[in-house]
Amino acid sequence: MKEKGKRYAMFIDTSICFDCKSCMIACKVENNVSEGFWRNWVKHNAVDCECRTQFQPGQCMQCDDPSCVSACPVGATYKGKNGLVEIDADTCIGCGNCVTSCPYNARYRNPTLKIADKCDFCAHLVERGEDPACVQTCPTKVRVFGDLNDPASQISQILKNNDNVQVVNPLINTRPNIYYSKNTQLLLWPEEPTLPGGVHMSPDFWKAVKEGTR
Amino acid sequence: MPTEKIDKMNRRRFLKLSSMATAATSLLAPAQVMYGLEEADKVEGSSKQINVEKKFTLCDMCFNKCGIIATLENGVVKRFEPNPKFLKSRGMLCARGNAGLQRIYDPDRLKYPLLRNGKRGEGKWRRLTWDQALDLIAEKLQKIGDKYTRCGTLFMAGTDLQSKFIHRFAETYGSYNVISHESNCLVSRNRAFLDTFGEMPYPDVLNSKYIVMPGANRFEAIVTPDSIDLMTAIRNDCKLVVLDPRFTKTAALAQEWHAIKPGTDMAFFLAIAHVLIDEKLYDKDFVHNKTFGFEALTQHVKKYSPKWAEKECEIPAADISRIARELAKAAPAAMVYPGRRTSDFTDSTQIRRSMAIVNALLGNWDKPGGLTIGQKIKLGTIPSDPPFYEDNPEDRIEIGRSCMMFEEEGSFKHARDAVIEGKPYPVKGFITYKTNPMQTGANRDKTIKMINSLDFMVTIDITMSDTAWMADVVLPSQSYLERLDPYTTLQGISSGTCVATREPIIKPLFESKSALWIVSELAKRLDLADNFNFTMEQYREKQLEDLPDIRKAIKKDGVYNLTSSPYGAYQGKHFKTPSKKIEIFAQRYNNIKIDPLPVYKRPTKRPSGQFRMVVGRNAYNTQGSTTNNALLRQLAPENKLWLHPVPARKLGLKPDDEVWVTSSVGKERIRVRITKETREDTVYMATGFGVLSKGLSGIYGKGACIAELLEDKNDAISGNMAMHETFVKITRI
Repeated sequence: MKEKGKRYAMFIDTSICFDCKSCMIACKVENNVSEGFWRNWVKHNAVDCECRTQFQPGQCMQCDDPSCVSACPVGATYKGKNGLVEIDADTCIGCGNCVTSCPYNARYRNPTLKIADKCDFCAHLVERGEDPACVQTCPTKVRVFGDLNDPASQISQILKNNDNVQVVNPLINTRPNIYYSKNTQLLLWPEEPTLPGGVHMSPDFWKAVKEGTR
Repeated sequence: MPTEKIDKMNRRRFLKLSSMATAATSLLAPAQVMYGLEEADKVEGSSKQINVEKKFTLCDMCFNKCGIIATLENGVVKRFEPNPKFLKSRGMLCARGNAGLQRIYDPDRLKYPLLRNGKRGEGKWRRLTWDQALDLIAEKLQKIGDKYTRCGTLFMAGTDLQSKFIHRFAETYGSYNVISHESNCLVSRNRAFLDTFGEMPYPDVLNSKYIVMPGANRFEAIVTPDSIDLMTAIRNDCKLVVLDPRFTKTAALAQEWHAIKPGTDMAFFLAIAHVLIDEKLYDKDFVHNKTFGFEALTQHVKKYSPKWAEKECEIPAADISRIARELAKAAPAAMVYPGRRTSDFTDSTQIRRSMAIVNALLGNWDKPGGLTIGQKIKLGTIPSDPPFYEDNPEDRIEIGRSCMMFEEEGSFKHARDAVIEGKPYPVKGFITYKTNPMQTGANRDKTIKMINSLDFMVTIDITMSDTAWMADVVLPSQSYLERLDPYTTLQGISSGTCVATREPIIKPLFESKSALWIVSELAKRLDLADNFNFTMEQYREKQLEDLPDIRKAIKKDGVYNLTSSPYGAYQGKHFKTPSKKIEIFAQRYNNIKIDPLPVYKRPTKRPSGQFRMVVGRNAYNTQGSTTNNALLRQLAPENKLWLHPVPARKLGLKPDDEVWVTSSVGKERIRVRITKETREDTVYMATGFGVLSKGLSGIYGKGACIAELLEDKNDAISGNMAMHETFVKITRI
């Protein structure tokens, strides 16, 4: 009998992040991310020096309905095992369509390898039983990483309590697999995704894409 | 539509867990071998073995020394993880810690001894062998010693586990003129708290319910465990009130922030004391039993009302009164956070005295959530027995310039002045280790002047810092991954005291050598080897001679944690002060005619059209030592001048415009960051840019240097540099 696969996801508690950027550097070191590019980020909602600023770390959301996969003309990116959205380095032609189609701007084009790149939840670390680098390094343990198919996992417990939200692009819900603590402010930073060729479409278009009527 | 891709095995890498064990490369390291990995390249059919090891050590990217586990693949360090057993760091590693790899493998790293081969600061060097370099240094030290006495050489050693050997060498060689960088940092804070409480306490942030934090930008100026505990405390309903002219990340995350007028903190805290006394909110039993001078304080603060303070610090009187009441309500689990870097104003010590006094009124000494006492673990040592030099002068060169300077730290500002003046006697030699006064010592022109007046200067460092750039001989030191260091104790209060060490993770790169080796070799050449007749291994052996449990724990966990209760140390004990109580009224000060209670002095009036410059930190750079790091400079490729939109508009500036910043001592060119995150009258730039050294290839030509602009005023009592007293003009380029 085939063993039930894993469904990796992450929970981020924005109420305790203080934007030290350890996660960004740890990721860079672990994954040899190209100079000037980042696989993850920390955004904030500070407006006019108001207290209780919220810092929001983020990276590829490993979506269940990934627009990047639709945008790829050669099938180089796909929803793989363990719930991760994967990139096949050999098949990728480096056209950059997936980069602009991401509602989170999570992808970038590796300038030396000339292929798309993004967070892969440090798959090589996870495979040998460790947490992703960003999870391990965090001073306040903002991130929880785990398997949603395991009801006993810490992340399953957290999500069961329903004290969480997803940060979703108002134009298209790609069903992200990073969940945020309940007071996380939404609608602040997802990018406007574009079609291949950088074509901007109206919100109605994206709604129709979602509903499957286009 | 998402499509399921069939899992094809092509030339993609995959890593498989293997049961192969791999041997540790070195017997020295507390090696933790975890597993071996096999990388397969299917197309070529070959298999390349990766030998993976994990080893404990301590980070060195700032002074905190967080415990880390280094992962090596085939003997090359690939990354660091936090050591989860290291309680003081709460099992974390910050951006700089992760970037440490680039310090070790930096192409700009010093590789072999260098001799200046042109003018000072020209950057022309000639390579020397170690023997040549050491022979030359010994010869020069002998010459300078003969001509100017042994005190004719100034030693400056930074925060490092081997600095004690530099000090030992200075002592053996015979110079009293030894300074640290601490007089560009915290000596005024230490002075104030020592003279009030008899020792410097550790704030129990984790358990506090109300923290007033003046400056001390803890979410950017990371101090372990304080920075992490602060977030935990806030989660547990601790209220954080930040006083800072800048909207720092700490201000952003606090419940309350006041853009206090720079230099007026004392007004604020004297007014707090006024309210606590006036409304009888202070801890009466504690104050009555454990403090000295309360009556005098009561009279003293009568005139320092919140209404008066409002005019000085620009914080509403109602808020000051309310904060005083809230502090009292939460006491004793309430505090005025002592902070760390206090190199700001010429009355810096007295400012911290006012903060210490408020803490005393709250009765938070030795209580959860208040100011607690570090537990001590005494390690063994190899005692030093230096010779006596008859012809040495009476005293060190800074004597008399600040009445209560700490002799073990000295005063960089005063020492520099003394060298330039040649008074009370000439100093012609300068040896620096792991410290960068060219970047962090206010008034760079003076530092250059001082260096140009010297006969001989040696710098021991790992990169060509601005200080190394000015030296006559530059010696390559070992990075933290290459060293065998002494054991050290670290204080973290609610995380307990710990003992840890460093053992080599990799073999020393290039020709780098440890500080102990360097001074031992110099000692041999100067006939002073008797005081250096031990190896590092023997020194470490002596340190833990009577402490086998510590050795075992470090071997197993990378750290020994002492976790006995941090409270109750003062049960039935008196304070180490003249009155044996907390000195609200500082008798020591009174005896030498300094104000025994802090007297408010309005900060110097800002000239019209000018701005007060302040300095500070962010979480991903450590002052002047990490800005060239290849990873960290991707976060901060340069520094920018923070300028409020209102004056920016008046100057006709757009974001990122270049400006000249001019003070009475220097001029720098920099881009502006137009932001509301600073007061209209205050500008700020990060440390570590505007470098002179071309050996810092990543940041040469970028940004501006704070030392070039800052005037070198000093705290009157401790000799601490006062870096917030400088006014600058800004002009568009």
